[in-house]
Amino acid sequence: MNILGWGLTAAVALAGLGTLAALVAPERVRPMLAGAATAGVGGAGLAAGVAAVAGVGYHARLPWLLPLFGVELVLDPLGGLFVAVAGGVSLVAAVYGIGYAARGHGNQSRSTQAVLPLFVLTLLLVPAAGSVSTLLVTWELMALTSLVLVLTDHRARPRVTHAGLWYAVMTHLGFVAILAGLVAFAAAAGGDTFEALRAARLSPALAAVVFGAALVGFGSKAGLVPLHVWLPRAHPEAPSQVSAMLSAAMVNLGVYGVVRVGLDLLGGGPAGWWLVVLGLGAASALYGILHAAMASDLKRLLAYSTVENMGLVFLAVGVAGLFHAHGEERLAAVALAAGLLHVVNHAGFKTVLFLTAGSVLRATGGRDLNALGGLSRRMPVTTGLFAFGALGAMALPPGNGFVSEWLLLQSLVHPPAGTGVVTAVVLPLAVAVVALTAGLAMATFVKALGVGFFARPRSHVPERAVESPPLMLAAVGVAAAACAGLAVAPTALGPALSRVTGDTLDVAPAVVGGALTVRLAGIASTISPVLILVALVAAVALTALLAQVVARRPARRRDAPLWDCGAGPPTPRMQYTATSFAEPLQRVFADVLAPETTVDTQHASPYLLARMRYQRRLPDRIEYWLYRPVLVAVNALSRSARALANGSVHRYLAYGFFGSIALLVALVVIP
Amino acid sequence: MIKLLGKIRRTGRVAEPASPPPPLSCPKAARLAGSVQLRHVDAGSCNGCEIEIGSAFGPVHDAERYGARLVASPRHADAVLATGPVTRNLAEPLRRTVAALPEPAIVVAVGDCAINQGEFAEAYGVVGAVGDVVPVDVTVPGCPPPPEAIVAALRGLTGR
Repeated sequence: MNILGWGLTAAVALAGLGTLAALVAPERVRPMLAGAATAGVGGAGLAAGVAAVAGVGYHARLPWLLPLFGVELVLDPLGGLFVAVAGGVSLVAAVYGIGYAARGHGNQSRSTQAVLPLFVLTLLLVPAAGSVSTLLVTWELMALTSLVLVLTDHRARPRVTHAGLWYAVMTHLGFVAILAGLVAFAAAAGGDTFEALRAARLSPALAAVVFGAALVGFGSKAGLVPLHVWLPRAHPEAPSQVSAMLSAAMVNLGVYGVVRVGLDLLGGGPAGWWLVVLGLGAASALYGILHAAMASDLKRLLAYSTVENMGLVFLAVGVAGLFHAHGEERLAAVALAAGLLHVVNHAGFKTVLFLTAGSVLRATGGRDLNALGGLSRRMPVTTGLFAFGALGAMALPPGNGFVSEWLLLQSLVHPPAGTGVVTAVVLPLAVAVVALTAGLAMATFVKALGVGFFARPRSHVPERAVESPPLMLAAVGVAAAACAGLAVAPTALGPALSRVTGDTLDVAPAVVGGALTVRLAGIASTISPVLILVALVAAVALTALLAQVVARRPARRRDAPLWDCGAGPPTPRMQYTATSFAEPLQRVFADVLAPETTVDTQHASPYLLARMRYQRRLPDRIEYWLYRPVLVAVNALSRSARALANGSVHRYLAYGFFGSIALLVALVVIP
Repeated sequence: MIKLLGKIRRTGRVAEPASPPPPLSCPKAARLAGSVQLRHVDAGSCNGCEIEIGSAFGPVHDAERYGARLVASPRHADAVLATGPVTRNLAEPLRRTVAALPEPAIVVAVGDCAINQGEFAEAYGVVGAVGDVVPVDVTVPGCPPPPEAIVAALRGLTGR
């Protein structure tokens, strides 16, 4: 047993201990014990994942653990990357959760605290699964444990139950798709392990069915449009540290599944598959960020931003598959590296953002941006951390999102010759999508930061806010430091990414190289995040110096009150709200968003208005057009089916009798 | 578009011929060197003066050719053009507007009401003339003052 084996064993043992401790410990120490165990599970996962990415292999077979198939655990560099990300996110979020639950905040209920370590364990085991049955079991365990965590606050808020219902249905539909696809795959391959699947030669039709099913199942977990509807409901309603784990670690496993099944097990496939992936990714990126730009609920905004980022990752994966199908292995490797780097970067900044949003929720009790504001004075450290995370989400140079989006654009703007008309048309469109997404992300996070944290308090809600305890700040600080490291030295991940892409696509290593400068294989462009940072710091310092010099010049200055049109000082109600900030964008994209506005007027007399009420709603249009008819049909069908079961025993006996007769007849007729 | 251009060509200039430039009427205006930006404040006027001011800046009298210009904020202005008796509601905004002017703040009271409350003197809602609220530098008498008088007063500020 090597370091990976020890890491996974330690994770399992700690998860068991944590669950046990949470079940028996009194409420006072429960979050501490469960949180520490969860952090331990995360830490063990991080260590194992890093070792796996570094090239240590692991393979274990535990035939006694599951009847019929046994458990098969394999950690290769691809799985290791996702294990490391999940472990790192969980480590930080669990430590944060200890502080979050202290002093009566957060949820100390036995079920939540006991399930937390198990959930993190399943996050680590899904990418470590080495066979179809192991993957399915761990996947389902992950779905169930995360469902329990999403439902944590169901007593306090009825919306949580609603969100949980959506999540349960969507995740199980996804599971059915994965189950059907992978079981068909395993049956055709004649074996259950990934090695057997890799060796199998499937007919093109069956391969397409398997890939389609996997894309639906894993895509629904990653929040791919149009299967995203559960994500902006469930992620915001979970406790904040769980939100971070869901949004930064769990959704990644959707990407893992598609990469594993599509590129690794099926070994690529025709370009058409990957065009679908690319298109869905582009649609998710645009749709997600558009709704994020409209959202005024801070956590809902972040959840939609997750949809956007997963869309970008799927876009990258689609491009990688497209190049792979055309035999352009080096470019495929660059695109895949861009996608995987974005997975890591997104996990980093989304952890920071969700945890700071949790700090705001804990300090103010609210997450409606229109009621916040002025937090920069009351919670300066949290504001700074949120700003740093937002920088990453905006893909601006000192943030970590910039490097991966640059990498993605590089793989898009260097189309190889001779890959056909479709590629030549699709790639520039993808560039436009990425650029538009980046622009909208800028508007979104300027809104979140400017309206939520700066300016003056918009209500009495933020006035009583106090800074979070040091433990929470330290946890978020560690995540932010990791983001900073990724932003300044993404080349540190170069060998790891090269190993992962090399292993998955079977190309020569060294896709991303260089010490201070990122160099790409097969593309002439380079970038140096360190030099960009130095230039930025120099520019800021120079500007500050110039301002000092100018200010020192003797000038006749007269202090005058702010010009307020003579009407008196402006009140906080006159500030931009999240809704008004997004209004121009809402107008521009009115055809896509189709906002519903209603104006109710009550007249006191034909000439005088008594009251006027303006209401704007932005329902999810995909949900409205795609899901509502299905829900209505299912409802109608179940209502009509009620007539079959009217409580009469005679009728039920008759059903049984005629059912058996029909079965016997069928068996006789069909040879 | 073609029709409009044709109309412009057919109409030509309609501005009154300019008389020789007058001497400066206000010593403060010397620093402005011939360019005076004006913020108009209606402190409670019947809008007669507004019509005449509009006419003074219209194509016939065209005060802008002498260097006077109406602007939208006192932060952009050199002088305030105040009309009407100062009502209770506008007294404070008028004070704030004049306070928001950069130095040298010039106040021009346009019309009889602005100079001595006119026919609204001692009315219920009236605080006083403009001079009772802020120091006045230039006055333009008349009810309402003709555009020629307004233009002449403004030329006294620009010196052009």
